[in-house]
Amino acid sequence: MRQQRSAAGEPRLSADAQQQLFAYCLVLPVALLLVGLVGYPLFYAIYVSFTNLVVGGAGDWVGLANFRYLAGSPVFSSAVWNTIVLVLVSDGLKLAIGLGLALIVNERIPARGVFRSLLMLPWAMPAFVAFLTWRVLYQPIGGGINLVLTKTGLYPEIVDWLGQRSTAMPAVIVASVWRGFPFWFISILAALQNISTELYEAARIDGANAWQRFRAVTWPGIKRVVVITTLLSSIWTANSFESVWLLTQGGPSDATMVFPVLAYFGMQTQRIGEAAAVSVALLPALLVLVFVTTSLMQSDED
Amino acid sequence: MTTGSGFLGRNFVAKLAIVAVMVLALLFVLFPVYWMIITSLKLPREIFRVPSLWPQVFTQSNYRSLIEDKDFLIAIRNSFIVASSVTLISLVVASLAAYSMVRFHYRFKGLIGRLILFAYLTPTSLLFIPLSILIARLQLGNTLHGLILVYLTFSLPVSTWMLQAYFAAVPRELEEQGMIDGLTRLGALFRIVLPLSAPGLAAVAIFTFTGAWNELLLALVLITSESRRTAPLALNYLITSDVLPWGPLMAGAVLSSLPLMLLYFVAQRFVVQGMTAGSVKG
Repeated sequence: MRQQRSAAGEPRLSADAQQQLFAYCLVLPVALLLVGLVGYPLFYAIYVSFTNLVVGGAGDWVGLANFRYLAGSPVFSSAVWNTIVLVLVSDGLKLAIGLGLALIVNERIPARGVFRSLLMLPWAMPAFVAFLTWRVLYQPIGGGINLVLTKTGLYPEIVDWLGQRSTAMPAVIVASVWRGFPFWFISILAALQNISTELYEAARIDGANAWQRFRAVTWPGIKRVVVITTLLSSIWTANSFESVWLLTQGGPSDATMVFPVLAYFGMQTQRIGEAAAVSVALLPALLVLVFVTTSLMQSDED
Repeated sequence: MTTGSGFLGRNFVAKLAIVAVMVLALLFVLFPVYWMIITSLKLPREIFRVPSLWPQVFTQSNYRSLIEDKDFLIAIRNSFIVASSVTLISLVVASLAAYSMVRFHYRFKGLIGRLILFAYLTPTSLLFIPLSILIARLQLGNTLHGLILVYLTFSLPVSTWMLQAYFAAVPRELEEQGMIDGLTRLGALFRIVLPLSAPGLAAVAIFTFTGAWNELLLALVLITSESRRTAPLALNYLITSDVLPWGPLMAGAVLSSLPLMLLYFVAQRFVVQGMTAGSVKG
């Protein structure tokens, strides 16, 4: 097309420039869609968080008023605290379980393939299905956990796991670990399988014990994957809405309230400015995580 | 694949401990799935009055009430429409972008790559408020089209990111040979690069489909009429009602996971490959 036009007398584009143009054209749809659907909304959310926008009304600039209001609200403090606890504890457990099981599956064990597939099961299930199932499991009436605990005599009393402040957060954490650990497991396993057997043999000949072999051979081989997975998973956990929404909706009395659920509630009350401020408040911490993660992942590309 | 390399050694106690851990891990993983399935097959009176590990009577009544009273198949159909449209659009648009980024050198390429990763990591919880305003302005509120459009926010970045890794693995020489034989650039992409990246396309398709199939928050905010609910949304409204319909709820859980579980077990190899190639490289 371009060549025909240049035959009509226009200055002819060099082959290199043509190729550049072509390259830009290919990447343009994604770039435009992402600017329109991610970039613009992101900045719009930041703008809205400084206004008193309500549904059906125009918002006025209110400066930091929304954030000042949040800083003084007890629900917001619980959301901050709960999000931190949820991320640290559940991602710590996902790492421990994922790493442990990956090390086991990397050994010469019976029924390895089947075992690996079964461990992936929670991850293959839709997240909403997983959390709805755990909601049923935790019920005092009709729930499987109380049944198993009372039948086996491990704990004799029926517990309303999601209904009391002391057990609600641990219950959310267990469900979120169940759903999330396979991602860690499979990522770490893939890294383990790239470590050469010879390194282990060499370490063994040198008389290294299991812990020394782990420190000298295994850990260097999986460190990078563990770091990236930790960052990714922290971002996902801090922002996961389904887990808390479907299990407890932030209750009982805000014991499991987290950022995304609080923002959603804010939106339901139609005070958009405040709701936006809730999610924007998380942004500084998130940006740091995202920046570190993208740098690591991009340097990984080459 | 290396087997039994091991830092653990080969003594008997270690082996016994490993088997014990495996059994515990399997119980932890499988019990919830088991409970979901048997609860979906129990009569309501049994769920609430006679808790047991095995149903006294197997019933389809939960499935029937879910499908007949709650029109759940419509929700499944909506989920299918949304998830497959999102998958199709993402595959096409992301293939073009990923190809451009892998094969050509130009200004802003690094920047675009970084923006794609940023978008990948920008959580929905941050975007759902402005997106709902945007969609309302576009007059797409409460439509499946609107849902498809906003789902591109998470499907496009991850697809582009993953496809880059697969396209980069296709030898440049093959393409050059094809172009000497008369293929255009796009021809080389469609005739050579895409077919050779078939496993990658499969993995990306599965990820995108899953992402759209699972999404709840945006659907909750954007969809208001019952006939346009997706599967997660329909089930969400089951639990926010006053009665606690554990039986039908678990029937819905089984029905919504079946398509995905099938997909995973048929294509497990691609999924595992894609997971490690796309998000975290081993």
